[in-house]
Amino acid sequence: MSGGGPSNKDTLFAAQGLGKRYHGVDAVADVGFEIERGSIVALIGPNGSGKSTTVDCLTGFQRADAGRWWLGGRELTGLSASRHARAGLTRTFQNVRAFDEMSLLENLCLGAQQRDAGSWWQAFTGGPAERRAQAKMEARALELLEMVGLDHYAEAPAEILSYGQRKLVAIAASIMARPDLIMLDEPVAGVNPTMINRIEAMIRALNADGVTLLIVEHNMEFIMRIADRVLVLASGRLIADGTPDEVRRNPEVLDAYLGRSRAPHAV
Amino acid sequence: MRRAPALATLALAIAAALPFLIGDAYIYTLGLTICVFAVLASGLNLVYGFAGLLSLAQVAFFGIGGYGTAILVVDHGWSMGPAVLVAGVLATVAGLVVAYASLRLSRHAFAIVSLVFSLLCVIVARDWVSLTRGPMGMPGLPSPTIALPGLPPWQLSGPRDFYILLLVYAVAVLLLLYRVMRCRIGRTLLAIRQNEPLAQSMGQNPLAYRLFSIGLSAWVTGMAGGIFVFHLTIVDPSIFDFYYLETMLIMVVVGGPGSFWGVLGAAVFFSAIPDLLRFSADLRLVLYGLVLIAAVLAMPGGVAGLLRRRRLRRWREARR
Amino acid sequence: MNVDFVLQLLLNGLILGLIYALVAMGLSLIFGVLEIVNFAHGEFYMLAAMGCYFLTAGAGFGYWGAVVAVTAVSVCVGFVLYEVLLRRLGGRDFERSILLTLGLSMVLQNGALYLWTATPRMTTTQYTYESVVLGPVQAPLVRILAVVLAVISFVSLYLVLHHTRVGKAMRGVAQNRDAALMVGIDPRVVSRLAVAVGVGLSGVAGAALAPVYSVHPLMGFAFLFKAFAIVIIGGLGNVAGAAIAAVALGILESLASGFFSLVVVDGLAFVLMILVLLVRPHGLFGGGVRV
Ligand SMILES: Nc1ncnc2c1ncn2[C@@H]1O[C@H](COP(=O)(O)OP(=O)(O)OP(=O)(O)O)[C@@H](O)[C@H]1O
Ligand SMILES: [Mg+2]
Repeated sequence: MSGGGPSNKDTLFAAQGLGKRYHGVDAVADVGFEIERGSIVALIGPNGSGKSTTVDCLTGFQRADAGRWWLGGRELTGLSASRHARAGLTRTFQNVRAFDEMSLLENLCLGAQQRDAGSWWQAFTGGPAERRAQAKMEARALELLEMVGLDHYAEAPAEILSYGQRKLVAIAASIMARPDLIMLDEPVAGVNPTMINRIEAMIRALNADGVTLLIVEHNMEFIMRIADRVLVLASGRLIADGTPDEVRRNPEVLDAYLGRSRAPHAV
Repeated sequence: MRRAPALATLALAIAAALPFLIGDAYIYTLGLTICVFAVLASGLNLVYGFAGLLSLAQVAFFGIGGYGTAILVVDHGWSMGPAVLVAGVLATVAGLVVAYASLRLSRHAFAIVSLVFSLLCVIVARDWVSLTRGPMGMPGLPSPTIALPGLPPWQLSGPRDFYILLLVYAVAVLLLLYRVMRCRIGRTLLAIRQNEPLAQSMGQNPLAYRLFSIGLSAWVTGMAGGIFVFHLTIVDPSIFDFYYLETMLIMVVVGGPGSFWGVLGAAVFFSAIPDLLRFSADLRLVLYGLVLIAAVLAMPGGVAGLLRRRRLRRWREARR
Repeated sequence: MNVDFVLQLLLNGLILGLIYALVAMGLSLIFGVLEIVNFAHGEFYMLAAMGCYFLTAGAGFGYWGAVVAVTAVSVCVGFVLYEVLLRRLGGRDFERSILLTLGLSMVLQNGALYLWTATPRMTTTQYTYESVVLGPVQAPLVRILAVVLAVISFVSLYLVLHHTRVGKAMRGVAQNRDAALMVGIDPRVVSRLAVAVGVGLSGVAGAALAPVYSVHPLMGFAFLFKAFAIVIIGGLGNVAGAAIAAVALGILESLASGFFSLVVVDGLAFVLMILVLLVRPHGLFGGGVRV
């Protein structure tokens, strides 16, 4: 850990000076924050404010133009996406993704494989160790499927699922590898209230298990219920950072959401 | 598809019994063609059907194996076994270079670069006379001897012997590929093909898996070429003929990319019919082109894809 | 080594490069707008050249008549190609688009072989035996005309892309597909035009080249090799990059042919392509379309 990095032992994740430009326009500029171990942090902001770009950069899916970041004291700057995942930082995508032609069980097992399964040679020869690892992954996958109420579809291909169900599967897959930190990009957008409750329960259970989360979301009610801390992005810059209540009362935040025409008594 | 393993065992039993039953050279030539194409098509299936990379360099690997083996045996006095192995490794190296250089850019670039590489091979075979003897190639390859420890040396002569050798080779390769496709490696390849970013978010390294599949595929394809040229007794630039590539593509596309049995079935079928439809080679390729277009437009997943869609319908109905 | 010889090589290289450019720009344009790599592109070039031969040898067309007819037909073929085949492909079907155009190329090439055999044919026009003296070098008139045709095509392409509504839309789609679709550009109109223009350019190339070299059914296939390498070197989808890379390659090849063996000349494109991929994977001039 040289030249900066997390300042405090309770800090799990830290980012400094993150910047990303598209076609000469800043999508994210000088964004820095820390995430405490075991917390649930929300990242909010209007459409196009750079939330997804931030997540993409911090998980290695986009090459950042500037900035450095650390997970648990280890610098991840510049590593590939798969190395971020292996270091213990996984994510879900705003446009939900699944391996459509594979069963839910296979979908989830793929999430755990990098951590739980052995070498390629072991996979090829398929000895007892491989079978044991496979059984262990399947047991955990079934457990998670049960938790989200999809265990009866364990053998079904993912493409038959509804939108909300796919979001559940995506979240379940992202925790199969028991990451230290998960970044969820809009986990409840476009999902009906019952399903939102289910996702909320799942997130709480995870958090109780010691997983730290960064959640990008537009659904304010959901955020206010679940987050310990809220970060606000506007036009690629971090404009607020505080508890849900503080952020709710922050005039700059209202401003960002309501546009430039700042009403003097907006609060 | 569920009965495929049983069917395959039966077919294999018949194929293995053939040499004791008939002496017809025509049957053996047909049989060994089927064996070669089963290897070539399954090799392409690993790369295209599993890793999702449309490799148009397969014919180049085949030819490199052929030329490499012939040059090692004729010019350097190697025996056939090691020469085939080393020529296969040569094809692997070529495949890895092409794949590594182009995959850093995109899958699109890979398809283009692999095609350009195949065309380059034709040119090198034709024009680099000091290495390849130019357009006339190397005729009169000696009939090879295989010396396995504990057995008397086996001098291969005639289609029957090559049929036996290629049958053994094809079975070995197909077992290898079957295992790779069915184990965790194959599943991960399929996952990467279906959604690369998602696979990355799960810690998989797509480049490593793709290089592995290209390397393995090039190796088995190159070795098939190395054995095949000794059956032909000549290697010349026509070993790089696009006829081979186009035939492989048809087999994979019609059989169903990603389906081991579908592609194997299509390989047997399409190796057998040209002999049944005996007309001009040019017209045959016109027909193949039309089949390819029709297959791409009408059944994107090939025959195996049709079966899969039926299964999907059952799940959808169950959901209601 | 004498200067005239080098000048002669340079001139030949320039002509070759301009012809490469015509084919490669069409290929790059189609890729930029449709994200489809047209593997049948070389066959359209071949068919245009064969058409030029038959029009002049069999139907009594003069040079200009043949060029205009072949180009017009090529543009129409492009329309039909899009409407009948390419339209059926979705944006994410990259591999299918290759298989489709590869199948088409097999049909066209082997059909041509069946009809006309692989025998090379010479196209003779009223200009075949005339030549032009340019300072120290002398060049056959048909070669100079090939240059003229290429330059006319470049200028018209430039005007279409920069000064017509649909041309600007084409650049828009190529630069940012989603944004362009959102502002209401009809992708079908734009794609159809891109394919028509692309195939039309290879038509011009075939017609311009037919009187210079011999024509035969396998010529497109051999040519495609260079065109693809050029497209990668120039940056996938970068039309102007393709043009520059094409001319440079033509000149390099011509110079190399004066001093090295054939393998070196023909391998040059491949080696350059691999080097570019290793050093600057997005092409010398960057990916994405700039025209
Ligand atoms: N691949 C890209 N190419 C060009 N511009 C991009 C790209 N991705 C994002 N942008 C731009 O960067 C800015 C930030 O986008 P981003 O997707 O991060 O916003 P967001 O906060 O996630 O928005 P939303 O709430 O709508 O998901 C936007 O102006 C967007 O247009
Ligand atoms: Mg977003």
